[in-house]
Amino acid sequence: MRFDFVEPLVFALLSLGVIVGGAAVVLIDRITAAALFMAFTFLCMAGMFVLLGAETIAAFQVLIYVGAITVLILYGVMFTKYGDRPYALFFQRQTPLAVVFVASVGVPVALFSFTFTSGTPPRGGGDLPSLATSVFTDFAFPFEVASVLLLAAMVGAIVLTKREERKETLR
Amino acid sequence: MPTGPFGLDPILWAPLRLVIAVVLALFLVLNGALLQIYLERKIQAVIQDRLGPYHVGPFGLLQTFADAIKLIAKEDVRARLTDTYFFLAAPALVFCPMLASWVVLPFASDIVGADLNIGLLYLTTLGSMTVLGIVIAGWASNNKYSLMGGLRSAGQLISYEVPQILALVSVVLVVGSLSMVDITRSQSGPLVNVLVLPFSFLVYFIAALAETNRTPFDLPEAESELVAGYLTEYSGMRWGTLLALSEYGNVTVVCSIMATLWFGGWQGPGVDAFPLIGVVWFTLKVYGFILIMMWIRATLPRLRIDQLMSFCWKGLIPAALVNILVVAVLALAFPNTKVPIAIASWLLVAAFVAGIPLVQRRRLASLRARTRAAATPVRAAS
Repeated sequence: MRFDFVEPLVFALLSLGVIVGGAAVVLIDRITAAALFMAFTFLCMAGMFVLLGAETIAAFQVLIYVGAITVLILYGVMFTKYGDRPYALFFQRQTPLAVVFVASVGVPVALFSFTFTSGTPPRGGGDLPSLATSVFTDFAFPFEVASVLLLAAMVGAIVLTKREERKETLR
Repeated sequence: MPTGPFGLDPILWAPLRLVIAVVLALFLVLNGALLQIYLERKIQAVIQDRLGPYHVGPFGLLQTFADAIKLIAKEDVRARLTDTYFFLAAPALVFCPMLASWVVLPFASDIVGADLNIGLLYLTTLGSMTVLGIVIAGWASNNKYSLMGGLRSAGQLISYEVPQILALVSVVLVVGSLSMVDITRSQSGPLVNVLVLPFSFLVYFIAALAETNRTPFDLPEAESELVAGYLTEYSGMRWGTLLALSEYGNVTVVCSIMATLWFGGWQGPGVDAFPLIGVVWFTLKVYGFILIMMWIRATLPRLRIDQLMSFCWKGLIPAALVNILVVAVLALAFPNTKVPIAIASWLLVAAFVAGIPLVQRRRLASLRARTRAAATPVRAAS
């Protein structure tokens, strides 16, 4: 007996976690619980990256999405202070429309995923040296474009909040 | 049939190894917390000219054991309006990442749970997960003091994570590895990294104080303003897990990172002959940093939240970025020697220290101007 059964088992558990967590984020009507389920989904995604041999990407996934983005969302929820009462969002009341939209995206995705074939990817593709080399050589231009875009977004956010402040002082 | 260590079947050995590692880490965390609470009380007592605990056992050594038994035996009190699931989950969410980060700490050359090749990244990742538990604890308590503590903690921990990681990057640039074992092995002589990169150590030490909620950055649980911050509604062993175990465990992890990255980890005299002595050196170095943190706690007053934020974003982060820039340029320009990096880094330390009085003088001037401006209308009215 070998450990061959462990990897599919872990994969099954993780995909179950991703699907259940993702569904809970959309369906649950308490926004703090939804944020926590999002963190759970991200953690399961990180586990998938580890299974693929891309530990670096898994670490960044947890560092950025669980450690920073989920906390920022919770931070925002706490500042809006509407309490923790159940709160149905607009898309949670439009079931027929939602079914149509989900089917229009879901059916092609399902068809694609069942017909998809590919060779096994090379091991260690998400390893740190290969990741760094590809980011700074082959993908240097998209990487720089993305960082300039993020910088512009950050400056824009700062400018917007500054303008709000001035209006309030004028009032 | 393949055999693993001790002639065991690998299928048996894999889970057994896991159990041993977790039990060992738990043992170290629990006892380390007991010891550190005792040290904290005794050192503060000495600094404040008191006796500290001395009734239970010789020199009061058993005081914290008695406290731990009391905490475990305490009734589990939970206010009715707290958010049940989140309230129960928060201590676990804080505790688990801390426990998991003990896996990659290198206690001696072969005594390490897992030599991950991204060990340092793994540690920072787990450090960032602690915030989530603290924010949830503050939210679930349904209490404005807890919420304030949780919000402060979220802001503080996210802000100070940035200089912390930036300070680690410069060490990685010089050593060329993210593995804790490789970083330790690179400092085998007396030339430890702190002599080469003192500035990144300074930045990391300040950021680590904030990351572990130690004074002067203990705003999330500021006793004199927020009751106990996010800990207000917790009692018994939930409080013990959140505060005693997680906080002191995190302090130990952070101090181990400092000992490994800048002070050579387990390396020391006699290690080559007897590898087990490495554990002693590692422990001594880690507890040295813990003692310095306790000394700071007994000495410095707490910062205000705006001072805390502006110090991080206007002081530490630019300093850490300049440090990375200088180290990266010099490492590229002189790939064979560390001397230029060391000179530049010591110059940065000197500039940082020399800058403090200037900043303080400007701040004092602005404070005086504000006092004068506030005093003038009163005089005019009277």
